[in-house]
Amino acid sequence: MKMWVYIIRRVLLMLPVIIGVMTITFLVTSALPLDYRLISSLGASKNGYKPTVPCSQLNMTGVLCDNPAYYRGIHTLGLDQPPWTQYATYIYNSLTLHWGFTAANGPASGITGKAVQPVATVLSWYLPYTLELAAFSLFLILLIAIPIGNYSAVYRNRPLDQGARVLSFSGFALPGFILATLFLLGATYLVGAGVQECHATSTPYFDFYGSFPPWSCVDGGKPSWIGANYQTSPTGFPTVDSFLHGQYYLAGDTVFRLILPAIVIAYGSVAGILRFVRNSMLEVLNLDFIRTARAKGVAESGVVRRHAGRNSLNVTVTVLGLTFAGFIGGFPIIESVFNLHGVGLILALSIQPPYDFGIIFGATLLFTIIVVIANILVDIVYAFLDPRVRLG
Amino acid sequence: MRRTFYFLSRNTLAMIGLSILIFFVFVAVYSFFDPSSDTQLETFCGEYGGPGGGTAFNGTAGCQLVCTYASNGPAPGPNCYAVDYYNPGFVPPTVDFAHLKGGPVPLGSLTLNPSSPYFYSVYQGELKGAPWSLGISAGIVLSGAAIGLLLGSVAGYSGGYTDEFIMRITDIFLSIPGLLLVLVLLAVLGTHFTSLTDRVAVLMGAFIITWWPLYTRIVRGQVLVTREQKYVEASKASGARSWRILGRHIVPNSLFPVFVQLSLDVGAIPLLLGALVFLGFHIFPSEYFPEWGSMSAKAIQIVPFQLTACISTSCEFPWWQLLFPGLVIFLFAISVNFLSDGLRDALDPRLRR
Repeated sequence: MKMWVYIIRRVLLMLPVIIGVMTITFLVTSALPLDYRLISSLGASKNGYKPTVPCSQLNMTGVLCDNPAYYRGIHTLGLDQPPWTQYATYIYNSLTLHWGFTAANGPASGITGKAVQPVATVLSWYLPYTLELAAFSLFLILLIAIPIGNYSAVYRNRPLDQGARVLSFSGFALPGFILATLFLLGATYLVGAGVQECHATSTPYFDFYGSFPPWSCVDGGKPSWIGANYQTSPTGFPTVDSFLHGQYYLAGDTVFRLILPAIVIAYGSVAGILRFVRNSMLEVLNLDFIRTARAKGVAESGVVRRHAGRNSLNVTVTVLGLTFAGFIGGFPIIESVFNLHGVGLILALSIQPPYDFGIIFGATLLFTIIVVIANILVDIVYAFLDPRVRLG
Repeated sequence: MRRTFYFLSRNTLAMIGLSILIFFVFVAVYSFFDPSSDTQLETFCGEYGGPGGGTAFNGTAGCQLVCTYASNGPAPGPNCYAVDYYNPGFVPPTVDFAHLKGGPVPLGSLTLNPSSPYFYSVYQGELKGAPWSLGISAGIVLSGAAIGLLLGSVAGYSGGYTDEFIMRITDIFLSIPGLLLVLVLLAVLGTHFTSLTDRVAVLMGAFIITWWPLYTRIVRGQVLVTREQKYVEASKASGARSWRILGRHIVPNSLFPVFVQLSLDVGAIPLLLGALVFLGFHIFPSEYFPEWGSMSAKAIQIVPFQLTACISTSCEFPWWQLLFPGLVIFLFAISVNFLSDGLRDALDPRLRR
């Protein structure tokens, strides 16, 4: 099979999975009280239904839901149609990125500025930051796991191997929310003790809370290319945009603010991948070509790095996808502790009463799509590394 | 079996993990015979007369003791009153953290420590929380493993369209990041249920729905290997029915990876429960329900406030409220990890050497 055929096949296989996830969210949505659904998908009050108070609260007292606007809203949404029609509409709208509207009284509306916004638009403001954080954490995980895993395999069952394993297990066992809060407090205490003056007075300013420094501490105040909800132009990625606009201080600061959250994420999920690197390295080290390499006099460091290391990388790549799905579920916690303006933060706000189900379902779908795409990328990289996959 | 235990007993870390785990199980059993907290809580709630008087921890209504913190510390009496959490007029207690004074609760002390934001002492909370945490974790993981064992062995043994169908559904569930599905399910279903038993059932259901696909995939992979073995062929040749082959040969022989994964997952669940509480889900009827995960989440949430209060007014920082719940949850998770790693080594003949 040619490489591009493999890629196309892999991408086409992604569609059923995404439609399946949409089916699950459709089923879960059906379990919602009707009035919540009206709020989360109707949005603008132009249809006559004013989404101010959840109707379930009104419904309990009796009459208030029983007005023409309510039924008009139900009709507009097609909730009076047979389930199959609703399902088809739901899938069609989800695939065409019509993900409903944010609730006017929802917690997310406070930070999105306007009362009612399309969910897809709101999520698109927050997605780039999440991607940046995910990429940075993944980079950090690889940076830690591959050398330590190789080292553990070569010096198997020595104290340092045991120590590395205990350390990685402790990352598994420490709750992310405790670790993140303690890191934030500790770092703020350490850095803040000396350097609290502002950049406005041309002294360096550091803090770790929020995705941008206070605008009074940036030269020239808030840049014009950053919108009201921290959406940046032209690319949307804050670090890249800061570079493009030549504000190197701001670019450095955004990277600096990624470090602590990324360390917390990496510490939590490095255990799984470390184990795989170690095991695959152990397996490769027992193979014949390693003995041959040693026999012909290759230095031990060369054997480990060039011969064994490259071959054990294949397995590591496949686990990356799983790790990614694992740690992206923790983003709501990390982002809300560090107050980073990503999808996780807005999801964490939306799951608190009064709920904003538009954002909840939209963010879940978005995270799933990210995981699925990451898995496809992993498969493609794996096919490049190991020809047996695409030929077999 | 005996060989497995022999190899396991040679592994120091696994033995440490096992002994910590046994200790926690012992604590959970002991908590039912502990003379301290239940009676006292009931007296409190009964005395100050809430609608659900005295039943907060027996599972029906959300009777809760609310203390307003006066300037010289709280005193049960005029400053404390019991409320029903589901009362529409319920206002969460505001706690002035500057007044949280008092030393760490000595282990073994049976007195209610009124200066803690829990209205039981940390010691009592951890004790009372043990059966809840262990029970919820074990229940979730065992049910998930049972479903996975059933579906995985059916998929792996029958093959064909059944296999395709089950595994595609498994793929869909596996691609949703774990905690997110729980969040969505709890946000939706949580609007319907109020009583403690219902909410714990919904919680466990949400976790089971996220947990079974992993086991299904593991079991199926193992069954695919096992069903090609000679003894299965021999059994088939001697005329055994397929349910007998499944039950007697295939399932018992593909159990071991499930054990390893199961022991790993038990430790993760209190952490995830804590994460849910940290994100603001009121899973349990009482804000200060004795469950390990929620106790540590509540403790870490108030730390910044405590710190600022203690910096401005120089009070003693109540470190024990964070340290002991954190330590318990950490020890539980890491002991389970050690045990699972030891099991993996002991069950895999290639790694035994």
